[in-house]
Amino acid sequence: MDIGELILSTVRMATPILLVALAELYSERAGLVNIGLDGIMSFGALAGFMVCFITGSPFLGILAGAMGGILINMIYAYCTISLCAEQIVYGMAINIFAPAVASFIYRIYFGVSSTLAQDTLMKSIAIPYLKDIPFLGKLLFDQTPMVYFAYLMVVFTAIFFNKTKKGLNYKAVGEYPKAAETLGINVIRQKYVACMICGALAGIGGAYLTTCYVNTYSDGVVAGRGFIALSAVIFGRWSSGGVLLACLLFGFCDALQLRLQIMNTSTPYQLFQMIPYVCTLVALAAFGIKKAGPKANGKPYMREER
Amino acid sequence: MKKVFALVLTLAMALSLAACGAASKPAASASGSAAASGSAAASGYKVAMVCDSSISDGGWGAACYNAMVDAAADLGWETAYSDSVAQSDYASSITSYCDLGYNMIFLPGNQYSDATVQVAKDYPDICFAVLNGAEDLPTDNITSILPNADEIGYMAGALAGLMTKTNVLGFIGGMEIDTTKAKLAGYEAAAKAVNPDITVLSAYAGSFDDTAKGMELANGMLSKNADVFFGDASAVDSGARQAIDTANGDGEIGIYDIGQPADLLGQNPCVICSVVTDNAGMLKLAMQDAQAGSFGNKTIYGSFENGCLSVGAFNDELVSADIQSAYMDFIDQMAAGTFPG
Amino acid sequence: MKLKKTLMSVLVPLASVILAFVIGAIIIAALGGSPVQAVAYLFQGAFGTPNNFASTLVKATPLIFTGLCACFAYRCGVFNLGGEGQFIMGSIATCWVATTWGIEGPGAMVLCLLCGIIAGGIWGAIPGILKITRGLNEMIVSIMLNYVATLFMGLLYTSVLRDGNVPQTAAVPDATQLQRIVPSLRVTWGIVIALAVAAVVQYFLFSTSKGFQLRAVGLNMTASRFNGFSVKKYILFSFVVSGAIAGLGGSVELLGTQYRLISGYAVGYGFDGVAMALIAQLNPVATVIVAYFFAVLRTGANTMQAGTGVPTSVIDIIQALVIVLAVAGFALVKLPQIRQWLAGRGGKKTAEKKEEK
Repeated sequence: MDIGELILSTVRMATPILLVALAELYSERAGLVNIGLDGIMSFGALAGFMVCFITGSPFLGILAGAMGGILINMIYAYCTISLCAEQIVYGMAINIFAPAVASFIYRIYFGVSSTLAQDTLMKSIAIPYLKDIPFLGKLLFDQTPMVYFAYLMVVFTAIFFNKTKKGLNYKAVGEYPKAAETLGINVIRQKYVACMICGALAGIGGAYLTTCYVNTYSDGVVAGRGFIALSAVIFGRWSSGGVLLACLLFGFCDALQLRLQIMNTSTPYQLFQMIPYVCTLVALAAFGIKKAGPKANGKPYMREER
Repeated sequence: MKKVFALVLTLAMALSLAACGAASKPAASASGSAAASGSAAASGYKVAMVCDSSISDGGWGAACYNAMVDAAADLGWETAYSDSVAQSDYASSITSYCDLGYNMIFLPGNQYSDATVQVAKDYPDICFAVLNGAEDLPTDNITSILPNADEIGYMAGALAGLMTKTNVLGFIGGMEIDTTKAKLAGYEAAAKAVNPDITVLSAYAGSFDDTAKGMELANGMLSKNADVFFGDASAVDSGARQAIDTANGDGEIGIYDIGQPADLLGQNPCVICSVVTDNAGMLKLAMQDAQAGSFGNKTIYGSFENGCLSVGAFNDELVSADIQSAYMDFIDQMAAGTFPG
Repeated sequence: MKLKKTLMSVLVPLASVILAFVIGAIIIAALGGSPVQAVAYLFQGAFGTPNNFASTLVKATPLIFTGLCACFAYRCGVFNLGGEGQFIMGSIATCWVATTWGIEGPGAMVLCLLCGIIAGGIWGAIPGILKITRGLNEMIVSIMLNYVATLFMGLLYTSVLRDGNVPQTAAVPDATQLQRIVPSLRVTWGIVIALAVAAVVQYFLFSTSKGFQLRAVGLNMTASRFNGFSVKKYILFSFVVSGAIAGLGGSVELLGTQYRLISGYAVGYGFDGVAMALIAQLNPVATVIVAYFFAVLRTGANTMQAGTGVPTSVIDIIQALVIVLAVAGFALVKLPQIRQWLAGRGGKKTAEKKEEK
């Protein structure tokens, strides 16, 4: 088996998951569990595809994906933050709602034809010098800008949450919202900001699929990647480095699974697809409550009456 | 208290009715079925399709939907469809159309057989046409439409065998269903009849709509030197074609794809030819049976010999005249029953 | 005050449904369809013929089970989002027993149902055990378990238990299937089992001392602990029972409606159950009513889509809107500010108006 191809494929498959997992990380760090990632992604995928198709610019497509993601996630934000409704219910509702809207818009705009509409794919940009590193250079430094963006986001996120005051305040919202409020942090505003970041990143993750990965949109293009991203956040213990490793692991499993199938068609691919979830469960059970993420995760925050 | 309740309720009702009323005005001109029949005079007959994939998937779903629309337009039937139907909802979706008085339900795939048999019992007056249905499926109101999957495989395999330089071919399937397995077997048999040194790589995506997966599978096969591809997986195939185009780059095209079931020449630069299945023609035969009252208890076969399968247009730049004529010789042998032997 | 509360719990979902349909009607009209006709199709699909009416009941059956599953766990203060996984595990156990043990008949049917209950209960116990021993968030664990169950089912119908050329298992033998109540109608005894379970849950929660204690744990865990209730025991108990309810549902669905495991089996049932339990305000009887209403919407929507020819996605949009609006409506009236305001005004129109925002 060609190891280089396998690693390349791992990077390709891990990138959208990584973007969306970071989205979830920003959301959960503010105490908001958002399981509507699949939905946000599919809407981002459509918005990205359409804008890219119309304007011919993948970068505008990515931007549109981010906007679309924010738009959809505002439903979740308003209902869970301002109305203090069940986060899980809204996540799932978005998972029904957003793909249906995306499919609907596509059908209305493109109609039914025996060929799929195709947009322009983002070109990969090689980084000078680094790309000349033997073996790894071609694999890691000759990618689309979005891949670099994803990895830079990992670094940025790590610094932001651990080294900056803003980041620590942000984390406080997810850990002890009441205490954060007394310290003068506007918890509600911070949560909305978190939702915007989450929507934007998840939307970009979706748009990546249709503007950098494949050049068509079809219903179901997201194919459950949002839930794998959710697992990656937990498996990566809510730290950006951990999330990166988790995404690479899950991407590798998927890439390996597809390669094994080519060699032997009777591979039970469901076993491989279970890996992210089983890994997450085992990891959760192993590290228990102490490392089980932000303390106020999933809990609605009701501001005291003034 | 109750008064207020009643008031609110009436208010809401009135509001919604008003909204409906206002909205329905522009609709009046285009009322009825959204997927209305073509220009042909209405015959009073109606056909509906229930499909598990999306009809805008650029593959199987779209091809079958277009087949139904074309056949219906010729005969003046009205059409309707439900797409992206989950397997567990097949029966209830089919039943809905039966209750709405549709004359024929078109089921584009063998996977609908069980649901069809279940519903068909309760609606003896309605015709059910199952594409790729098994030969033992037909009853008084069920007809199978069966394009010859072996031949589809042969037709693709012969061309692939002639075109390959590396002697490695790729095949990507969606689900492991009988027709796909038959296409794969035919593909392999024909390619090996042309050139015994050929190996065929195959894989199933486990999905008909995960485009990215098609791309990865194709990439995996490309890394093992496959240079001619054929597939049976709708949107997954378009991902595979994209991977092939990427691998070809901007230079000379050296890796090819063979399309199906519609003529896909021109969709991607790598498409050299297509194996075209005339589902519309076969469905039309079934519709004519329904009109004539002779529907049921039969299997409408689609083969190269009766014109339901055909070779699509060639990409003349990539497929030389010599190869084209050699290929057509194989096709003639296939029609005569001597290929792949 | 009590009356007002009841009124509110009827008004809010009603208003959200109407609103969702108004939006749906606008979409249908924009596509050139007739909304009035669409609503007519909806009713025809759900109640038009005796068989349609029966179909609606058939569709309601699994939803009642998953709704009760969510409801029961929520009453004890734990969020069991794993209804779908438990439902599927119940179905898998049933399918395995019914198609591979070589037994048939009513006795086999009872055995199948029991196996479904046990499998669902075991699958439900996992998040419960992890919660009380490791303190893990039961929501995340149960969601993960849903995916494991779904993929496991996929593995079974594509390879291990596969029967025939399409990825699906063999069908349950005729004699083992749940029989129809009236031979000419599609509805089976499954709906009776569902209603019986609802009645038992209602009785247990509101008329027994154990049920009272379970609800007390749900209302205030800390206080219950100080009162000497074994909170952990109740949590585990509620998970096992709620899993068993879902497992029984899976068993009933397999024996009475689907007969085999196939792709798309039970997709979304778990989440629908959670949404229904919330809309029903965690009341078992109300859950049954809401489940029935959802079933009306589903069967009707199929016919509506078929009749008007609008894209299938419109139906999904309407259904998601109903959930979004109804749950938002309840959350809204629970907000302290709104509550105060309502108490001051005693109006009900306000809830509706606010909700449309």
